[in-house]
Amino acid sequence: MYSKKMFKAAIAASMLVLAGCSGGSANVDEEDVIDAQETFGCNAINIYNAGEYISEEAVPDFKAMYNATVKYDTFESNEMLYTKLMGGNSYDVLVPSDYMIEQLMEEGYLQEIDMDAITNLPNLDPQVVEMWKAFDPEQKYAIPYFWGSVGLVYNKNNVDPEKIESLGWDILKDPEYKGRIFFYDSQRDAFMIAFKALGYSMNTDDPDEITEAYEWLKEMNDTMDPAYVTDEVIDAMINSEKDIAIMYSGDAAYVLSENEEMGWVEPHQGTNLWIDAMVIPANATCTGLANEFINYIISEDVQYANSEFVGYTSVDTSVVEELYGPDGAFYENPAYMPRKGYDKDEVFHYNPELKKQLSNLWTTVKVNN
Amino acid sequence: MKNFSKLTYPYVIWMTVMIIIPMLMIVLYAFTVQGNSVLTLQFTLGNFARFFADRIFPSVLWRSLKVAVITTVICIAIGYPAAFVMAKLKANSAAMMVLLITLPMWINMLVRTYAWRGILTRFSLPPEIAVYIGMVYNFLPFMILQIYTALSKIDPSLLIAAHDLGANDRETFLRVTLPLSLSGVVSGITLVFLPAVSSFFIPKLLGGGSYILIGNLIEEYFVSTGDWNFGAAISLIMAIIILISMYITRKLDRETKEDD
Repeated sequence: MYSKKMFKAAIAASMLVLAGCSGGSANVDEEDVIDAQETFGCNAINIYNAGEYISEEAVPDFKAMYNATVKYDTFESNEMLYTKLMGGNSYDVLVPSDYMIEQLMEEGYLQEIDMDAITNLPNLDPQVVEMWKAFDPEQKYAIPYFWGSVGLVYNKNNVDPEKIESLGWDILKDPEYKGRIFFYDSQRDAFMIAFKALGYSMNTDDPDEITEAYEWLKEMNDTMDPAYVTDEVIDAMINSEKDIAIMYSGDAAYVLSENEEMGWVEPHQGTNLWIDAMVIPANATCTGLANEFINYIISEDVQYANSEFVGYTSVDTSVVEELYGPDGAFYENPAYMPRKGYDKDEVFHYNPELKKQLSNLWTTVKVNN
Repeated sequence: MKNFSKLTYPYVIWMTVMIIIPMLMIVLYAFTVQGNSVLTLQFTLGNFARFFADRIFPSVLWRSLKVAVITTVICIAIGYPAAFVMAKLKANSAAMMVLLITLPMWINMLVRTYAWRGILTRFSLPPEIAVYIGMVYNFLPFMILQIYTALSKIDPSLLIAAHDLGANDRETFLRVTLPLSLSGVVSGITLVFLPAVSSFFIPKLLGGGSYILIGNLIEEYFVSTGDWNFGAAISLIMAIIILISMYITRKLDRETKEDD
């Protein structure tokens, strides 16, 4: 996600210089400033979000609007977020995924969001509401942030679109593409793919099905010579380094908008639908401002800017329509519009024992070469 | 002089907080089961049993040692001749060479490894080869500089004396220069082998994630799996291996010094 963003950041920086030393953000009028200290009794919040997941202006604008201090940290994975929390770090707003929120709720790490403060809640996609209710049945602990699916980005010049459509996940074991595959290095996504390719539920805990999935991945590892990657896959696919890559829909939308050679497919065997949402930890120190931050992020303008900047699908239907429409940054970009209502697609559920077991198996798959 | 000893207090405090306490915590984690609170510690040797019971963990350990040894050997093979030539240069040229060798070290190692990634992905090398290139590139300067320092300390009159006593170039090298430079080789080995055996971002970035060494395994268990106890056990096993290798190199060092 870097080249375009670096450029945008450079522009933003130079604009700031041009705007001179007014001190505040160019987008905020002085009379609109609400003093956080006066209103909420505190003016500093810690945000912990995934990397490359917000527009450049969102946090600076918020700081200016509320005269607040914002410490903004990023994580690479939900597991890293969990490790940090267990290490005793305190935050005011976190943005984990569905299954991780389920786990944090269950372990009592979250507090309810003050729904009276969330006045900007937009017209949510029914799919989003359904996924939200799946982990937060009373819709009290989380506010949706982005959503999407997992699929395959492929080079249309080197991979026949009809072939990848018909093979789906099985193309990852097609010897024709040996050494030309980026595999996403996470036990969750790896086992999801193996379970789906074998026709099982990705939330299965049946020992035989797990063994079969393990064998599937091991065979893939031993015969296909894949490169295991995480975020670096985005740049690599923009540069057409390999022909097939497992990717999250939002990253794929960005790759497709940067490189016309690339196509996107959500395999017919089904995939993982996921949703990331904002939550407030029980030990937050500035809850009032945290609720206000969530309300700010969920507003249409900020959603639009964030979604346009990072490529992930907004939870706000009107934002999605605009960005997917003729004037939008992702006009008819298939990866920006994840599949809805397909019965083989599933959402992850939290299962700590299973997670540990799959984690170990995934390490074993990668090590054994 | 006695009063000056107080000046070491900041260092002692730093050591305690930053090194000793974390080390003790690693030991504690390594010998306990997951989900402990401070009040109910449950001790176990299970983490170590698990490491050695499974074929794959010792094989990763073995691979890490192999990579570190081969890296060290390549560094000596390339570094010794380079240092030898440098020691023969005039003072100015030698200083220039030292500068050129240290120059890349002014840039962060991680950044340089990322640069290599960009270069190496253009040739589809086996991950193993890419990792060796990255390792040797990163650690070679340490080897060259150590050997160069030892070589340049050799008194030239010793070489003249050897010639006067009838030794040819080859004999002079084998019986005077080489033995006197071994202490440099030994400290070079310390500076290359130890970081190489525990390095994790070079295999991670250049091996395409599919070439796992012991450092990567530790990272995996702490960050992705969240199994700190097993991760701590692996760390402790590695710490013991490093202690053993330090002991061996120390001994070698002392022996070469005694020969002097």
